[in-house]
Amino acid sequence: MSGHHHLSLKVLLGTALALGVLTVLTVSVAMIHIPSPFNIVVAIAIAAVKAYLVVMYFMNLRNDSKFNLLSFGFSILFLLIFVGITMLDTMFRVEVIPGF
Amino acid sequence: MAHSSNSNLAHHFVDSEQQFDASKMGMWIFLVTEILFFGGLFAAYIIYRAWYPELYIMASSQLNTTMGAINTGVLILSSLTMALSIWSAQNNDRKKTTIFLAVTIICAIIFMIIKYFEYTHKFHLGIFPGAYYTFTGIDHVKAPQFFSIYYMMTGLHGIHVIIGVGLMIWLVIKNQKQAFSSSYYTPIEIVGLYWHVVDIIWIFLFPLLYLID
Repeated sequence: MSGHHHLSLKVLLGTALALGVLTVLTVSVAMIHIPSPFNIVVAIAIAAVKAYLVVMYFMNLRNDSKFNLLSFGFSILFLLIFVGITMLDTMFRVEVIPGF
Repeated sequence: MAHSSNSNLAHHFVDSEQQFDASKMGMWIFLVTEILFFGGLFAAYIIYRAWYPELYIMASSQLNTTMGAINTGVLILSSLTMALSIWSAQNNDRKKTTIFLAVTIICAIIFMIIKYFEYTHKFHLGIFPGAYYTFTGIDHVKAPQFFSIYYMMTGLHGIHVIIGVGLMIWLVIKNQKQAFSSSYYTPIEIVGLYWHVVDIIWIFLFPLLYLID
């Protein structure tokens, strides 16, 4: 809960190293050309893990107030609702390809 | 230390701990709006990619993966040095706080220089957003649309990087005036949260724009 939780040098360096490794991984995975839907899934999954590391360790949300964690969680939830419901429209139109 | 923490405490807070938590909560609420702000552009990206998957594969070949990858590394390094500047402030090390903030600023400037070279190369080819698009190298009617999305997403992100540089210069000046210590470093913490979100946005932009086949 304490907002003044002290950062650990070891944890910060470890997080940066993990982010570097995951960046190399995402570039290498893109080079071996995984078949179509799965390449996007893998790319998003790696990016999500990287974002999780930044949020939890660099931004230290794991030691922060639960309200901040809840706010962040809800922003992701509402982003998914926003994109999901919009796609329920755009993917199921009679005129599939729009003029724009 | 007690004196410096008291001088920073606004009268409507019980103590500096409560003030610090309130500032952080305010910043997290702002970051939620930032995520949803960029979310609109991500939605446009996703919808157009679902409509024209072949366009994204064709158009992405015009983006320089090496430059994108270097920029990803630069931003990760800058996130580390940003966190290290907070760590230094927590340890009352004013000199290191300035050094780490300066490295973060340099990384941000390197990022923008690389972006400048990417943009000017595209402008040279006639790859402009929307109606100003004159490039003929991509055989797809919706090619200008991809680059409109590309410029809007990377452009809005770039504006955030430039704002971040301004905020960090302000932090360095304040730090040199001995404004921060282990008992008061709220502005560094708050700008740090902002900077990490700028990094997170790029973490998604890089694979989504540059790493398509």
